[in-house]
Amino acid sequence: MSEATAKRHMGLKTSRAISNTAIHVLLIVISIIWLIPFVCIVLQSFRVENTGPVGYVMPKVWGTDNYVKLFQTDFPRWYTNTFIAALATAVLQTIIVLCMSYTLSRFRFKMRQPLMRFMLILGMFPGMLSMIILYRVLKDLGLTQANAVPGLILVYVASSGMGYYVSKGFFDTIPMSLDEAARVDGATRAKILYKIILPLSKPIVIYTVLTAFMGPWGDYVFARYIAFGTSAGKNVAVGLYDWLNKDQISNCYTMFCAGGVLVALPVTILFLFLQKYYVEGVTGGAVKG
Amino acid sequence: MTQLSDLEFLKLSKGQKFGYRLGRFFTGIPKAIGNFFLKIGNGLKKAGSAIGREFADIVNTFIHGDWKTKLSFFIMGFGCLARGQILRGLLFLLFEIVFISYMILSGGYWLSMLPSLGKVGPSEEYNEVLDAYTTTYHDNSFQILLYGVLTIFFIIAFIYTWRVNVKQNKMAEKILASGKKLKSGKDDLRSVVDDQFHKTLLALPVTGIFIFTVLPILFMILVAFTNYDGTHNGYTNSLFTWVGLDNFNTMLSWSGGSGGTQSYAATFGEVLIWTLIWAFFATFTNYFLGMFVAMAINKKGIKFKKGWRTILVLTIAIPQFISLLYVSKMFAKNGIINGFLLDMGWITQAIDFFGDASRPWLARVTVILINIWIGIPYLMLITTGILMNIPADLYESAKIDGASGWQQYRKITLPYMLFVTGPYLLTSFTGNMNNFNVIYLLTAGAPTNAAASSASGSVGYTDLLITWLFKITMGAESKYYLASVIGILVFVVVALISLIVYNLLPSIKNEEDFR
Amino acid sequence: MKKFLAIVMAAIMVLSVCLTATAELAGEYDITIWAAENAVDLTKKQVEDFNATNTDGIKFNATVEPVSESEAATQMITDVEAGADIFSFASDQFARLVQAGALAKLGAKAVEFVTANNVGGSIAAVTSGDTMYAYPMTADNGYFMFYDKSIIPEEDANSLEKLIADCEANQKFFAFDLQGSAWYLASFFFGTGCHSVWQTADDGTFISVDDTFDSDKGLIAAKGLKKLVDSPFFLSSASVNEFNSGAAVVVSGVWDYEAAKGILGDNLGAKDLPSFEVDGTEYHLGSYNGYKMMGVKPQVDAVKGAAIHKLAQYLTGDKCQMERFEALSWGPSNLADQASEAVQSNPALVALAAQDPYATVLSQVHGSWWDIAKVITEDVKAATDEAGLQAALDNYQEKLASLFTLSDDVKNGWTIIGTCNLDDGFFFTDYSNETRSNWTDDIPMVKGEDGIWKSEKAWPMEAGVEFKVRQGLSWDNAFPADNFKVEEAGTYFVTFDEATGTVALVAE
Repeated sequence: MSEATAKRHMGLKTSRAISNTAIHVLLIVISIIWLIPFVCIVLQSFRVENTGPVGYVMPKVWGTDNYVKLFQTDFPRWYTNTFIAALATAVLQTIIVLCMSYTLSRFRFKMRQPLMRFMLILGMFPGMLSMIILYRVLKDLGLTQANAVPGLILVYVASSGMGYYVSKGFFDTIPMSLDEAARVDGATRAKILYKIILPLSKPIVIYTVLTAFMGPWGDYVFARYIAFGTSAGKNVAVGLYDWLNKDQISNCYTMFCAGGVLVALPVTILFLFLQKYYVEGVTGGAVKG
Repeated sequence: MTQLSDLEFLKLSKGQKFGYRLGRFFTGIPKAIGNFFLKIGNGLKKAGSAIGREFADIVNTFIHGDWKTKLSFFIMGFGCLARGQILRGLLFLLFEIVFISYMILSGGYWLSMLPSLGKVGPSEEYNEVLDAYTTTYHDNSFQILLYGVLTIFFIIAFIYTWRVNVKQNKMAEKILASGKKLKSGKDDLRSVVDDQFHKTLLALPVTGIFIFTVLPILFMILVAFTNYDGTHNGYTNSLFTWVGLDNFNTMLSWSGGSGGTQSYAATFGEVLIWTLIWAFFATFTNYFLGMFVAMAINKKGIKFKKGWRTILVLTIAIPQFISLLYVSKMFAKNGIINGFLLDMGWITQAIDFFGDASRPWLARVTVILINIWIGIPYLMLITTGILMNIPADLYESAKIDGASGWQQYRKITLPYMLFVTGPYLLTSFTGNMNNFNVIYLLTAGAPTNAAASSASGSVGYTDLLITWLFKITMGAESKYYLASVIGILVFVVVALISLIVYNLLPSIKNEEDFR
Repeated sequence: MKKFLAIVMAAIMVLSVCLTATAELAGEYDITIWAAENAVDLTKKQVEDFNATNTDGIKFNATVEPVSESEAATQMITDVEAGADIFSFASDQFARLVQAGALAKLGAKAVEFVTANNVGGSIAAVTSGDTMYAYPMTADNGYFMFYDKSIIPEEDANSLEKLIADCEANQKFFAFDLQGSAWYLASFFFGTGCHSVWQTADDGTFISVDDTFDSDKGLIAAKGLKKLVDSPFFLSSASVNEFNSGAAVVVSGVWDYEAAKGILGDNLGAKDLPSFEVDGTEYHLGSYNGYKMMGVKPQVDAVKGAAIHKLAQYLTGDKCQMERFEALSWGPSNLADQASEAVQSNPALVALAAQDPYATVLSQVHGSWWDIAKVITEDVKAATDEAGLQAALDNYQEKLASLFTLSDDVKNGWTIIGTCNLDDGFFFTDYSNETRSNWTDDIPMVKGEDGIWKSEKAWPMEAGVEFKVRQGLSWDNAFPADNFKVEEAGTYFVTFDEATGTVALVAE
């Protein structure tokens, strides 16, 4: 190794070290910015001395009062509602999305292109107004107000077929030759799906379950529209949001924060454990999507 | 613009190539429109002759068919039953029975009311003995419209099924005549999981989409042609009815239509422009910064890779209605951001981020910045995997050629990413145009745009078309018809943009290219 | 004999009416009630009390759901059928609810009950046209000023300018929700003597508005408004929680008293709004004084409806209003309750009472007015000179006028308007309604092929009936200049010649 190359090597090394330090610093700054609201909400949820919104962050008196009080309200009911909706949506939506995307990825039939184009066009309409009519449809089915949970599940699940893009992209990456070999061996299409394709699709299944599970926790506008007037039919978002009302906020703001922390809990835990699959799923999907 | 040959095109620089494509696209518009109408014409012609053929076929089937076939024209599935295909036959028959009883029991009523959307509104009576008023409700315009449309769909489905039924008879006769055997119920069942498997898989999703997406959209479009609003709710006060194109006139006329200082059309234009600007920046700031963060974390020698990712992902886990509300409080005039800036001595008086109508861009830029906070974690996750998928030898050979980090990014990473995520960018752009949550929870449209606000509801400088639409429906007068018109216009805009992008990015067009 | 029979018949009828009137209501009813979240338990208890004490044998199985007063109207309008049988709401939502057909009319006895027991303003607030639609429940929905005594010296609390100066000197905020709500914004305009009065018909539609915001007085108000909104320490908020985040003054209402007390303790001051000064004259800020009320959803079943009205009357009666005051500090609208000592000594209600001379009763206001008026603040803030302020008011006026924009047919069409003879049914647009008043309803005319306008039918007219023919529902074009007087009774068509402006009668 000549002296010059050695020097260049050293230079490279130091410059890499400098840039790595800079990136570490940057990542720390980013992390702080990203964590501030999260930390603030957690801190507020442990504040005892004042139940309204305040101008400081650190509680003066710490305690779990807010969490205790939370369980004396309708919150457990809302939480259960949302949990059931999320669970059911996760299962049903995954089935529907996988049916749709698998079909569009694996089969070539006459209506395939028109169907895909049609769904693309449908997706361009703003969904906001559908709310009014979906409410009426659900009402005629008896699935509003106190029965809002099954109604919500129905709506979440029913249209989910339109979100087939990512998982179709994933299925596209699985070679067709596998199917063809199995066909030669006389397997039916259905058998191919659950004997060959599904075992290979763990990441996308987990990705779909995860996204489907997350949706219902944050739904505010629609859930409110179909569950109005009954505490029993609310989901957490609607229930918590109502505490920000002018009559309520002074008494309920810290409970709102505590509720928010509990809402974030299941999703956070799932994410911590399943992050890897999420990345794999979305990567596989986006590459081809 | 003259068309270049492939060779000439390849000689152009990147920018020129893009400009060329753009130019070609716009110069092609008149022709495309011409083609479009030609296509429609041809389509109509084809449809006409197709219908003619169908009719001829139906008549022929009837004339030449045996008695089983002939009877099937009236009793659906009779042919199948008579020829031993019990399962199919029963299904056809069942469908016919359901259809006819539905039409008699209620379908007929809905259809007959559809042209008027109801005739009798609610009436009221005073009971002197009880000293109370009672109300009797009569027609319900909303239900008439809803079930009228459903009935029409049902009829179409029936005609289609009937046609299939006729075809099946013809086929069955042919097959039997050639001495082969018809498919048994067992065969039918097997085909459901085998060669007709795609239909089985699609049945549920497509039905769901039909009832919960197509029907509402169709309904929404129809509402734009009625006077459905808070004072004509169709049931408990006044019925609503068809008004033709009146609402489009109101929305699209430039002369003081909204009754304020500004017409609806002008307000629409203003909100649309901001919506586009927002969608552009929301999409691309997130995209590039997300990619940058992902690259930073992926870089060799960076420690706690998983830790950084987890921290960012936490923000996805908290529902937006909580985190965004909190963030919007942080940016209030007496929020902690202002408190911090004041303590630091960087500003002397509190900044009114979302309330200062004289500086609308302050609110707008702030919203875009906060959106970065929301968007980066998602983009980081998405791009992390894709970045790892880029073949490492590309970078190796680039390094050998002495390319700098920036050059590697420009020549390898970016093109690869853009190619792979092109479709994602498009959906993300249109998604951002309709990004209700972020705007509604952060600013609810504030600061108020005094000139654009009207009797139909106040409009803010950060309002997107979708939040404007929401405000109109939830506003004092609940002008659903106007919201529907805006909804349709949003669709037109989104469709137009998608069309342009599709034409500019040929890589999106052909999905088979990816295989 | 005939007479005797008639008397017996009448007696039987009266008797049966009396018997059935009480007996018929007995029964069990399932109903839903919406109440504010903090009033849910109390309402449940009150319904139990009603079940125990009523003499009609009525028993309600009530589901009481927490729905805030601000939400109730929106949710009722979303779907009246699914709404509550009894719900409480604030007076600004009243007109919307009437228009949506979400409120049942009150029967004659119920009207008597309301009129006899409640303050005048609250009665106007539950009336549209001549029809009453709801039961007043509180008379405390007005605003006044909370302030931090440790920062604001008591002697400064009467002057807006001094308050602003104190806030700025102490780096504290002055919270007044002028950007968020026209309800608060109106304060400045009422302070200088402007008014905004709306006329409604029986069905809740708005007929006209008499509004003087766009005037010299309005300009003074705009100048006062500008003083406050231009301050860097002005904060558009109406929540006493701002005391936690650096506010020294918050304009809010009785509902926030407990919370404010909790934050500031003994430092809390509550008083009427301050005065502001323009060109050497002091103007005391005005305010809106609103009411909360209970409405009954239109009922299909008359018996159930009558029973529910009974309950609503009980819930808004003196006993329940007092209970609400004791438990929740809600200021009663009931006259007897208002006179009680406890009510008269409540500090928040005292402050509200101090503001009362400057307050405007909130009766019917067009739903869109809130959005239209709200933007005045933005325009005033953006204005740099007096012309800018004037432009803000003109802008407002223009939008206001647009609420009554007429279609071309109406604008160019001629109508008849005049005194109506209630007995003979002259000038009725609606025969079923006996309460039409004079000079309020227009009867359309149709243009014949000869170019002469003519009423659609012949009307019985008494001698002395007066009327005019006018164009576009406006008095700008009305004929004849003096009223047309009917000289001889008869049944006439009214005709009008647009070219000459002559009104004539044509006998049927």
